Amino acid sequence: MVNGDKNYFDPRVLAGISNLYLRARWVVEGLMSGVHRSRSKGFSVEFEEHREYSPGDEIRRIDWKALGKFDRYFIKEYEDETNLRAYLLLDASASMNYASDGITKFDYGCTLTASLAYLILKQQDAAGLVTFSNRIESFIPPKAKRDYLIQILHALETRGPAGETNVGRILEDIAGQLKRRGLVILVSDLLDDPAQILKGLRLFRFKGNDVIVFHLLDPAELDLPFDGNILFEDLEEVNLKVIADPRTIRKTYQEVVGEFITEMRKQCHNDAIDYQLISTSTPLDQALASYLSWRG
Amino acid sequence: MSVFFLYPLYLFGLMAASLPVLIHLLNRRKLKRIRFPAVRFVLLSQKRISRSYRLRHWLLLALRTLAVILLALLLANPIFQTGAGLFAGGGPVSLVVLLDNSLSMTWSGDGDGFKQAKEAARLLIGSLNDGDRAALIPTNISGRETFRLKGEKEVLLKELDGIEIADGTANLPAALGKAYELLNEPAGQKEIRLITDMGLTGWDQFSISSLKQYDPSIPFKTIRITRKQQPLNGTVREVRLGGQGLGVDLPFNLEAVVANFGDQEIKDLLVQLSIDGQAKEQKLASVPPRGETSVSFQARLTRPGAHTGQVSLKKEALAGTPVTYFTLDAQDKLKVLVVDGDPQTSLVQSETFFLTHALNPAGEESSSLYLPTVILPDGLNAASLDAYHVVVLCNVSALADAAVTKIQNFLRQGGGLLIFSGDRLQMENYNLKLVQSSPPILPAQLLDKKLGPEAGGEKITKLDLSHPALLGFSDALLQESIKSARVWGYSRAPAPGKAVLISLANGDPLLLEQKVGNGRVLFMTTSADRDWNDLPVKTAYLPLVQGLTNYLAGGKRGVMDSGIPVGSTKEFSLPPSSVGKSFKITKPNKQEAEVSVVPQKDRAAASFQENALAGIYRVSLPAGVDKESGVPQLYAVNPPFLESRLDTISETELQAKLRPIRVEVISADALQQGGKRTDLALPLLVLLIVTLLSESWVAQRI
Repeated sequence: MVNGDKNYFDPRVLAGISNLYLRARWVVEGLMSGVHRSRSKGFSVEFEEHREYSPGDEIRRIDWKALGKFDRYFIKEYEDETNLRAYLLLDASASMNYASDGITKFDYGCTLTASLAYLILKQQDAAGLVTFSNRIESFIPPKAKRDYLIQILHALETRGPAGETNVGRILEDIAGQLKRRGLVILVSDLLDDPAQILKGLRLFRFKGNDVIVFHLLDPAELDLPFDGNILFEDLEEVNLKVIADPRTIRKTYQEVVGEFITEMRKQCHNDAIDYQLISTSTPLDQALASYLSWRG
Repeated sequence: MSVFFLYPLYLFGLMAASLPVLIHLLNRRKLKRIRFPAVRFVLLSQKRISRSYRLRHWLLLALRTLAVILLALLLANPIFQTGAGLFAGGGPVSLVVLLDNSLSMTWSGDGDGFKQAKEAARLLIGSLNDGDRAALIPTNISGRETFRLKGEKEVLLKELDGIEIADGTANLPAALGKAYELLNEPAGQKEIRLITDMGLTGWDQFSISSLKQYDPSIPFKTIRITRKQQPLNGTVREVRLGGQGLGVDLPFNLEAVVANFGDQEIKDLLVQLSIDGQAKEQKLASVPPRGETSVSFQARLTRPGAHTGQVSLKKEALAGTPVTYFTLDAQDKLKVLVVDGDPQTSLVQSETFFLTHALNPAGEESSSLYLPTVILPDGLNAASLDAYHVVVLCNVSALADAAVTKIQNFLRQGGGLLIFSGDRLQMENYNLKLVQSSPPILPAQLLDKKLGPEAGGEKITKLDLSHPALLGFSDALLQESIKSARVWGYSRAPAPGKAVLISLANGDPLLLEQKVGNGRVLFMTTSADRDWNDLPVKTAYLPLVQGLTNYLAGGKRGVMDSGIPVGSTKEFSLPPSSVGKSFKITKPNKQEAEVSVVPQKDRAAASFQENALAGIYRVSLPAGVDKESGVPQLYAVNPPFLESRLDTISETELQAKLRPIRVEVISADALQQGGKRTDLALPLLVLLIVTLLSESWVAQRI
């Protein structure tokens, strides 16, 4: 990657591109122009479902075992060939709708999710999407169809961030719905009970999934760069308000946030979860590079 | 022990101490709202640091407020003082010590008040450091003196030794004015110390408006000399003369009024009268609290002229002026030659009976100022007029040329001639010898004699009361008496208005005056006895005869002069011939001073201001001025009567009198106990630096 290519991933540049597809393509093409294509083109045929035979179907796709059991003709349908099933989980709670300068965490998360989906699908892997707040807002099962990206992007674009977060419980719910192993990519600010979050992530791991956590935080959330007396109002909990002078608490705040991140990183590491802290001021290639390094 | 500020205006800076709090409150008002996702971390952070954070913030606020206060105090330069010491530091001091040397200091502080005051002044001078300067100003000054600030302690102490108790009242406006005048020049630190017994006299007439200049910012401290117990306090308020003047060998009464200023009765007070330094009489008296008692003395002067006198109070531990001085000028007996032009075998019928009795009512030589000698007209030729002050012609028919010449010489030398008319008087002779003579002895031609019935007599209606001979008739009783008299016989002698002293109701003159050389002539147009009028039986007759005789003798009757107060100016009126000359005055301490005579209208005048000591001042008359010129040979100077009063002004009253000057009163004991003055600027500076460093340290940890 050359220095001149950094514009591809600058969140401020991306924020100016309103079309999410273009934004994802812009990122991925920019990234891929600097790396070699993956040689891994694994091929497998996996049974997906039965349906009743109808005239015109290929005779070779009839499941003769089913005919023996049910005395009816069923056609075996197979999923597209792929070597990866990726579940992209995007936090769409209200706390993601924050931007201290330029791009909100949600926009950044959407771009990241879209870029990942684009990348995954481009590599003929299956990509699915779950957006959630304190409930699952949308669920698109992973598929390896190239035009499937449109559905994912559509889901990302149709709903903005709203509502409170309950990451831990949602992860448990999603884990319960996943039928196959795969790669779970969580994009969230993780502003919830860390124990609940880790519990949900461990559930994914327990089911044999690989997990990557993109921990999205705004630079202001990391540094608390404000001045003067400030009434802080929480984006999710209406009644959570506090007056503070950032100058006096900044150091302690940074320590508290640092402790939270360290704890998440440590616990994720213990559970073989790939944890990546992403500041929304960070160019997107770093996030994607993290995925690519995992993908090998 | 006290704290005061050299630059108190900077104390307004203390109001700035509220600035940190105000800034804090203003910042709180400017609250910014931010919607933020990680409020839980903010809350957690705040909880974690909450206790120490708040503590440090309050500490920071306190330190900042303290820093402002310290800065204001530092600029105001506080001085901490224990006792009454001088500045221990903080730059050179300009100090003015006002030393109360008024008479009341004699009795303050249990009898050694002035000594205590001097000791206090000595301590103050001794406390001066290098670079300090001081001036000593006694409170009893005329205001013409000059003072200056000096740094040499030895010189100041020598000056202090030279200051003595003055007999007068403190001249506070002059002394304070001098002090502020001296401190008008720039100096690091200035101070005024007044060492006083706070005697009421002096302050009671004082007003701050009498000071031409003053500076309220200059610390003003009064060192009070106090007494432990209230002494007996009294003095002679007044000495007055009773009776009709002072003559040689004539007994006279003196009355001394003794006042008691204290709250306890003065018992067995010995009051003594001395004349010419010799005790004449003494009496015991008791004076009620806050009251007065009169003590009468009788004395006799054996020689004419000036005498000194004093009334002394003798009582142990009596506070107050014990001696009051006065002077007496005794008139020699006035020798009057009475020429009886109508002698009778019966004295009562005699022309001069009433006249001689008016001059000497008791008929004894020792009982009257006047010594009348009666002769017949023939005896006038042989008599030596030089032995007499006044010659009275009563109904003398005619005068021989020799007698007229003798009378003219007598008048030229200053003698007095009183002529009474009468039935025997030959008008042609008088007109020829006395009117047409040169110089004329009578002021008007005698026209005729007017005689009427006694019942139809004329009343006396007009008297020239401004004339020295008739001054006594200002008294209403005497006026009424003389106007009740009837005159039915008189010589008509129309004269110019200014020569007429008494007129009848019809306008005819009754008494005429003519000056001849240094002498004077009075012509009574009626008789001296009851033949032509009933004046001799009127009350007014005696004072009229004595008044006219006195006037003709030169107007002197002998007087008592109680003198002038200490510090006031003695004025002299002299004959015009003494202009340009000078004369000497010997003060009570035997020091002599010379006084120049200057012209003043048609007279000559001199004034003497150095009357600072109580006592008798002796005047050496200038050459050519005799004792009869009216210039006193002696005069008395007495302390002001109220200066003996030991009542004091309270601290509150003193502060009110001197407002806006801020006065602090401290006792002399506090000064004796030493005390120290410390400039707090350096400790405050150190404290300020420590405060600022602490603020910086705390601020970094928030």
